[in-house]
Amino acid sequence: MIALDGVTVRFGGLVALDAISAQFEAAVSGIIGPNGAGKTTTMNVISGFLTPKSGAVVVDGTDLVGMSPHKRPHWGLRRSFQREQIADDLSVLGNLLSLADNLHGSRAERRANVDAALEFVGITAMAGRMGASLNTYERRLTDLARCLVGQPRLIMLDEPAGGLTVEESAHLGDIILRIGGFCPAQVLVIDHDVDLIARICAQTLVLDFGRRIAFGPTAAVLADPAVKAAYLGIEVDHA
Amino acid sequence: MARQANTSLVAGLSAAILAAFGLPLVLGGQWTGIFTSTACFAMAAMGAGFMYSRLGMVSLAQVALMGVGGWVTLRLNHAFSLPFETNLILAAVVTSVLGMLLAIPALRMRGLYLALVTLMVAGGLEVVFTAYQFPNGGAGFWGVGTSFAAEMRRPVLAQSDGAYLTYTLLVAMLGLLLIMAHRQTAPGRAWALIRRSEAAAIASGTNVTFYKTWAFGLSGLLAGLGGGLLAGSLGLLDASSFRASESILLFALVIVGGARFWLGAVIAAVLYRVAPGLLNNWGVDADLALIFFGAALLHAVTTAPDGIAGQITGLFRRREAKA
Repeated sequence: MIALDGVTVRFGGLVALDAISAQFEAAVSGIIGPNGAGKTTTMNVISGFLTPKSGAVVVDGTDLVGMSPHKRPHWGLRRSFQREQIADDLSVLGNLLSLADNLHGSRAERRANVDAALEFVGITAMAGRMGASLNTYERRLTDLARCLVGQPRLIMLDEPAGGLTVEESAHLGDIILRIGGFCPAQVLVIDHDVDLIARICAQTLVLDFGRRIAFGPTAAVLADPAVKAAYLGIEVDHA
Repeated sequence: MARQANTSLVAGLSAAILAAFGLPLVLGGQWTGIFTSTACFAMAAMGAGFMYSRLGMVSLAQVALMGVGGWVTLRLNHAFSLPFETNLILAAVVTSVLGMLLAIPALRMRGLYLALVTLMVAGGLEVVFTAYQFPNGGAGFWGVGTSFAAEMRRPVLAQSDGAYLTYTLLVAMLGLLLIMAHRQTAPGRAWALIRRSEAAAIASGTNVTFYKTWAFGLSGLLAGLGGGLLAGSLGLLDASSFRASESILLFALVIVGGARFWLGAVIAAVLYRVAPGLLNNWGVDADLALIFFGAALLHAVTTAPDGIAGQITGLFRRREAKA
């Protein structure tokens, strides 16, 4: 379980997150909201890039606040970024190994972890290709595979479907839904693609201007008039 | 891609071994010395090249660090009767540690600001070298005497100038292999990720501080080896060889040569040492080389971001594609 308890972040006079509390229990949960709502800030707090002014982040009973960000992957946290972070001068395999290098275990174990992640995402065939030769979708898949290396406990995906076509986005959604069968990690997804969120996330947190507008089962949250007004209004009217 | 890299490695190693044993046979007098110092500067150039191409960090202190390596080698040579190799290794270690100290500001700075910090270090070392000169067998800590010219010991296996050139080229080759080994393993992957973005590296659990420090240490080690070998070649070092401006020039030539390629470091060092020698031989002022270098740098920056080595590699790839 991922529990945010009164997380507050301030940048100077701006309140980026205002006492956000939520308990994600679903295998795949989502965070949505308009631009500047605080989605990525929330992710940065959970992954340790930002230290909250107050509040706690407790995942599976461990309070993560205070753990340095580069030690969190070792604990089991994985995250991707809005812009995929594939090193062009490493192969796909090298990109995955760059995370595995920092995990415990023998060389053979780490290699086996990497191979399993490649296999699960279905990119074993392109393991030897250099990052520079990959297209947007292949980069996204490689980024996702890197998040699955080792024994992740919590995987956070920041706009994993950014820049993808409808078909690619649907395929990526299928892979994310299958993660539960691959490892016991909980998945937290931020995306603007509401169809994707509605399809794969059982629970969703909606943020606007750093405040929690709604939280609960995704269908109920998306039907909430406050959410429609803040975020989905135009889109729902057209649908 | 991997096969191409292997072919290039085999070609490089064969060329290096051929050069190591062949050059001393064909070169005469003055040129043996010039090629020896070329190999020394190639080591420093490799360090600057991999830091720039793999981590995006500009170090403008490589030649100054060579001076440190040379100073320590001379100092140990005149103070104790240790074999040359021991002095060389100790000099490389001292230079490497100094390089790591340089990394401290690098952890907070990027781009131009980092380059400026390394340049200030080079400037500081220039002042020290100019004020105290290099040890020549005199008394005291600085070891500088007015009329001394104590003997500089050379490796047992490489007493003659020709053998010493072979020795230097082989050490340079080991340096190159050391960098290549890094690129294939965890440090190389960590560097690639740090270059992509430090946030991504941290999110993958990479200790950015540790790997940046390591890169500075490796680059310092190579400069220290180069400086120590240069001391062994010349027997005496002069402060004017290690000015801050020399570090800048060497870095500029690394860009001209091609920072991403091992051949680039070789081209940089050849331009740095051989081109002025050639001009001298032709009776032209060696300072003219600076004008050529400036033009070459403009060319590299505007049309050949991978430098001369990149253009040569590209030429071979195109030929292979046609065949």
